[in-house]
Amino acid sequence: MAMPSAATKARTKPWWTPRRVATGHGLELTLGTLALQIGHAANEWRIHREAIPEDAVSDRVRIRGRRSLPAAFTERYVISGDTGPLLLNPMLADRNVVIRPHQPVFLLSQQSVVLYLSTPIWIRIEVGEPAHLLSELPVTQLSDTWFGPSTFEGEICYASRSHARHQLEELPPRPHRAITPLQIHNRANTPLPLEKFSLPVPMLSLYGSDDGGLWTQGVKLTREDQSDLAAVRIDSRPPELDRPLSLLSKPREDPGRSGLVRAFSLLFGSPS
Amino acid sequence: MSEWLSQIPWSAALPAARALILVLSGLVVAMLASRLVLRALRHRLTPNSTQLLRRGLFYGILGLFLASALRELGFSLSVLMGAAGVLTVAIGFASQTTASNLISGLFLIGERSFEIGDIITVGATTGEVLSIDALSVKLRTMDNLYVRIPNETLIKSEVTTLSRFPIRRYDIMLGVAYKENLDRVRDLLMQVAESNNLCLDEPTPLFIFTGFGESSLNIQFSVWARRETFLALRNTISAEIKQAFDDAGIEIPFPHRTLYAGEATQPMPVRIVDTQLFDRDPES
Repeated sequence: MAMPSAATKARTKPWWTPRRVATGHGLELTLGTLALQIGHAANEWRIHREAIPEDAVSDRVRIRGRRSLPAAFTERYVISGDTGPLLLNPMLADRNVVIRPHQPVFLLSQQSVVLYLSTPIWIRIEVGEPAHLLSELPVTQLSDTWFGPSTFEGEICYASRSHARHQLEELPPRPHRAITPLQIHNRANTPLPLEKFSLPVPMLSLYGSDDGGLWTQGVKLTREDQSDLAAVRIDSRPPELDRPLSLLSKPREDPGRSGLVRAFSLLFGSPS
Repeated sequence: MSEWLSQIPWSAALPAARALILVLSGLVVAMLASRLVLRALRHRLTPNSTQLLRRGLFYGILGLFLASALRELGFSLSVLMGAAGVLTVAIGFASQTTASNLISGLFLIGERSFEIGDIITVGATTGEVLSIDALSVKLRTMDNLYVRIPNETLIKSEVTTLSRFPIRRYDIMLGVAYKENLDRVRDLLMQVAESNNLCLDEPTPLFIFTGFGESSLNIQFSVWARRETFLALRNTISAEIKQAFDDAGIEIPFPHRTLYAGEATQPMPVRIVDTQLFDRDPES
């Protein structure tokens, strides 16, 4: 597969590599809409976070060490002794993400397509070995949404918009989002409208490449003819790319041994 | 002293001691059994069912031991039952309210319209259900008061369970001046809802024109939120709408009164006759 242009940009280590932060020093991370400052004071860690406006978001990650503590902080974590390295672990969202294409997409009958959907990641801030969790925060605060056939049957999800691209080369490099290849087979005789799709991100693992790209396993969805049920399968292996991927975080929820089967209307929202 | 001791019918003392031991051991066994069951099933059952099971077990076991103790004392159970029947009728007449509450409690538990931990509104009282008992339901109100509501009241009146469904709708009633463009107002409200993260994307916010008011065009704007963030949404979105209206120059009018002198087209002439009247010191 061809690569996004970001692949050649970064030669340094990815931002999630563990780092040592000496006492009295700090670390700055700018990722998506999140500006994070972490300081290591004597026997405590200080965190300051700020949201960057959407229109000022850069496509690049900026991480650098500071020789001073952050001037202001929103949280303090007290810990005794030598705390070891600071770990910034990327994670996937803790609830399903409902993705709506900017324009409705229709998949014609007896066709299949791979759509690349991206979802914003979360960061788990840990220190030491064994790791002590300091905080877990989303890089972009997504809006809540309800996904289900009625107002009392369904689940709370996050809402996200997508261009639903099907060409890998067209994907913009966005280091704060993880890409999920969604393969859809439409075996029915009618076109399948893809107005919205609930992506089960808590059941996916997160993989990272050395250039800072974040990927999840592929999700395969098959719509059978004459049936309202769609078989959803989560690949057991990471997507095959032209560069190695390493496992960064395991699924938050157990996807179960067999493929999931869910009601079609629940996956795509109630047909309108 | 020895005379007094000799008068005690020692033949009756032994059964009485046995009965006492039976009652005491019944208490211990009932307590132990209900605690053990509670510990074993705490994570599998709802708080409501756990409480019900615990009480059922406790009183069931205690009842059995009490019956054995009475037998030990020489009471015939069938006679006792008969006496209890007659007594129930007598007591029933005397304590109608209690009996009514007791039966209402059974229906409440059976109906399962709310459970322990739910937030309910009964009349003017809103609070968290602490326990559903035989005679009453205990609530903890939002301002931390302990309220006891008789079961009979709950059966007879309308009870709203606020925490039944995961999402709730907040209806904002507002009015804009007659000069405003309703499409523009609608777009602005939708933008405010979209930019508020607590406001759910789906179900989509609802814009309803409710009528031509005395001083304003009346609108209902309904947004959905998670139950946990309902209050936060209620506070934030109202402030955001006010700010958005101020920024866009959309007027939220005060109630107007137009004085009409009788002629259709002529406004009532107003002329200030004595300007010095307004310059006077009000204290003088």
